[in-house]
Amino acid sequence: MTGETTDPAGPTGTGRSGSGLSTRRLLAILFREEWRMHTELFGGWRFALFPLVIAALAVGGSVALVETGTASGTVVVGLHVLAAGFGLYSGTAGFAGSDMLENVFGRLSLLLSSSTTLPLSRRRLLGVFLLKDALFYGIAFVLPMALGGAVAEGLSATTPLSLVAFWGSLFLVFTVGMATTVALIAVRTRGVPPWTIGLGIGLAAVGGWALGSGGVLRRLLVPIEGTVPAAGGLAAATLVVAAGSLLLYDPTYGRPSRTATDRFARLSAALPVADSPLVTKSLLDLARSSGGVWKPFVSSTILLALVAALVGVVDSITGVAPAPGIFFGGVLGLSAFTTYNWLTQFDSLEAYLAYPVSIADVFRAKRTAFILVGAPTAVIPYLAAVVWFDATPLDAVVGAVLLAGYALYYYGLTVFIAGFDPNEFLFDAVRFATFTIGVAVALVPTLVAGFVVVPPSLELAAVLVLGGLVMGAVGIVLSSRAGPRWDARYRTE
Amino acid sequence: MGAIHVAGLEKSYGAVDAVDGMEFTVERGELYGFLGPNGAGKTTTIRVLTGQIEPDSGEVSVLETDPTTDPIETRRRVGILPEQESPPSFLTPREYLEFVGEVRNLEAERVAERTDRWAERLGFESKLDTLHTDLSRGQQQKVMIAQAFLHEPDVVFIDEPLANLDPLVQEQVKQFLVSYAAGDNAVFVSTHNIDVAEEICTRVGIVADGQLVTERSVADDGADESLLEVFLDRVEGEDARDTPTLEQLDV
Repeated sequence: MTGETTDPAGPTGTGRSGSGLSTRRLLAILFREEWRMHTELFGGWRFALFPLVIAALAVGGSVALVETGTASGTVVVGLHVLAAGFGLYSGTAGFAGSDMLENVFGRLSLLLSSSTTLPLSRRRLLGVFLLKDALFYGIAFVLPMALGGAVAEGLSATTPLSLVAFWGSLFLVFTVGMATTVALIAVRTRGVPPWTIGLGIGLAAVGGWALGSGGVLRRLLVPIEGTVPAAGGLAAATLVVAAGSLLLYDPTYGRPSRTATDRFARLSAALPVADSPLVTKSLLDLARSSGGVWKPFVSSTILLALVAALVGVVDSITGVAPAPGIFFGGVLGLSAFTTYNWLTQFDSLEAYLAYPVSIADVFRAKRTAFILVGAPTAVIPYLAAVVWFDATPLDAVVGAVLLAGYALYYYGLTVFIAGFDPNEFLFDAVRFATFTIGVAVALVPTLVAGFVVVPPSLELAAVLVLGGLVMGAVGIVLSSRAGPRWDARYRTE
Repeated sequence: MGAIHVAGLEKSYGAVDAVDGMEFTVERGELYGFLGPNGAGKTTTIRVLTGQIEPDSGEVSVLETDPTTDPIETRRRVGILPEQESPPSFLTPREYLEFVGEVRNLEAERVAERTDRWAERLGFESKLDTLHTDLSRGQQQKVMIAQAFLHEPDVVFIDEPLANLDPLVQEQVKQFLVSYAAGDNAVFVSTHNIDVAEEICTRVGIVADGQLVTERSVADDGADESLLEVFLDRVEGEDARDTPTLEQLDV
């Protein structure tokens, strides 16, 4: 905590607050800025198409799941988990200036930062900014997701009403996610160390699991399955948490400058690879940024927890459990995307062009760093899954091959399509659709096989191992071609 | 052929002609000022000369290397201080300069010795073990200056060398640039700052609309027009000379 924290305008002031700008006008300006930022970054129509892509995925995915025997209730739960997860992520957006956000979007000059140069209250501006984000993403992203939930229950004359109800339910859990993130960041600005926050979250999760509160949590976080008063209570609690967080948030918080002992030369010398200085820079950037080397593990563990929870729900409803090795091997390969994402947070290709290295060198170094970080990041959750779900040895071996092969494939696909900016997947309809199709080509048949033949036969095992090896080879080819492809793009821009 | 040679250089971004027939040569021993308004084509020219982008047409050579066909060799032989801010790096300045030294195949002992010398010269000794991302912009600029000269290149490209520096350090950097060029090296400085260009450059090229519109050297010191007047003439036209200066304004 540093300095003065008084904010006369209050957290969500609705008047002019001395700034000469009404809240409604401020909200309108922030909306315009958000729209322009996305359409500038992602080429106008490519961003405008993004809600349609989400709607197509939500509807297509829901129909496919229901048609293949998944209960519609499971689909609804899954959509709510996704909405809550997206809310948790979106909650970080209001904190421009944190290295996390800068790493994601680069150095931004948003209106949000104008509170430092104009007589605008930082808390008020932040409150309006978060409100704008909730409404913007609630309409552009959550509404298309709601189509999936409405379709999962079957089309009828009441589908429009179902759609509205689904949207309300999803939007509510989305705002719960946002408010949770904002609360955690507000606590952080009061000097509470990250490990304490992490410990608190961990204890709450373990405590909830030990007390068997899954049913309660489900009723709470899937409002459409609960009562109207319960949903109203959740909405009121979310508002209280959000307003309280803005009051708690210290706008003057500044992290003290950090020092580090010299590890570069020793680590670089210890790495027996070409491009070791480039690899070393990537590793040290990852290790010293917020969250340290644990970030990729946290991402893959969240993926593991979400998938394990869905498997549990499917099992409890339908009595069908997949072959855990094949199922988790295929899905956890997706951690390649999040790991690569973390490895590119602190770089831009342009910055490397001041040195005598090629773009292909930089991509090759990233691949080495990816293997060093990504292998344990994927393998440890995978081992936990096959032990927890009691996989047969054959299933575990096949899953391990799939994990390695698919991780390389997803990595290659990401690098080839998105280069150094995997976050652009978030809003670029064309790239997102291409990536999704590329993932589905490998993952969907694998998941179906994992559910249909349990435990896997030798023939299926052989086919899947071959598939994993082929996909791994494709991934290596894609990642090898990414360097020349992006080199040509940058140099002939 | 000079240390830097440019002939008929053209580069466009879509419908925008960023560089349109640029021509100039810079010899060793020169501190060449590349002066022009925003969007004149300065940064694009530097990016072509350092092999970061390919030109649409024209000839360029730097130390007799071709940055278009062999950009790595060009960048190996030159130093570059880019205009854009560096991304957030979690290396310390000491580690960052070790990184640059390794990428440039310099001996570790030599890098350590030059790191200490640059830190002392620019006054960031106390920040050598602070994470780069936590340094002020001025301190980051000092580290970037050090990396550009770490391998003691024969040609250095610098975009706005004095940005974010305090007056004391600005003076030291100016003196260093003058002495570095005098040591049979070529220093190519892109800047908006007319006073700096006039003070330290041996020759100044004025750029507008992607073309070099005129050059002026120290030999022209006795000329009737100041560099500012020449700049306004060539860039804005005669009308710009009627713009009142601060001294003329009646507040």
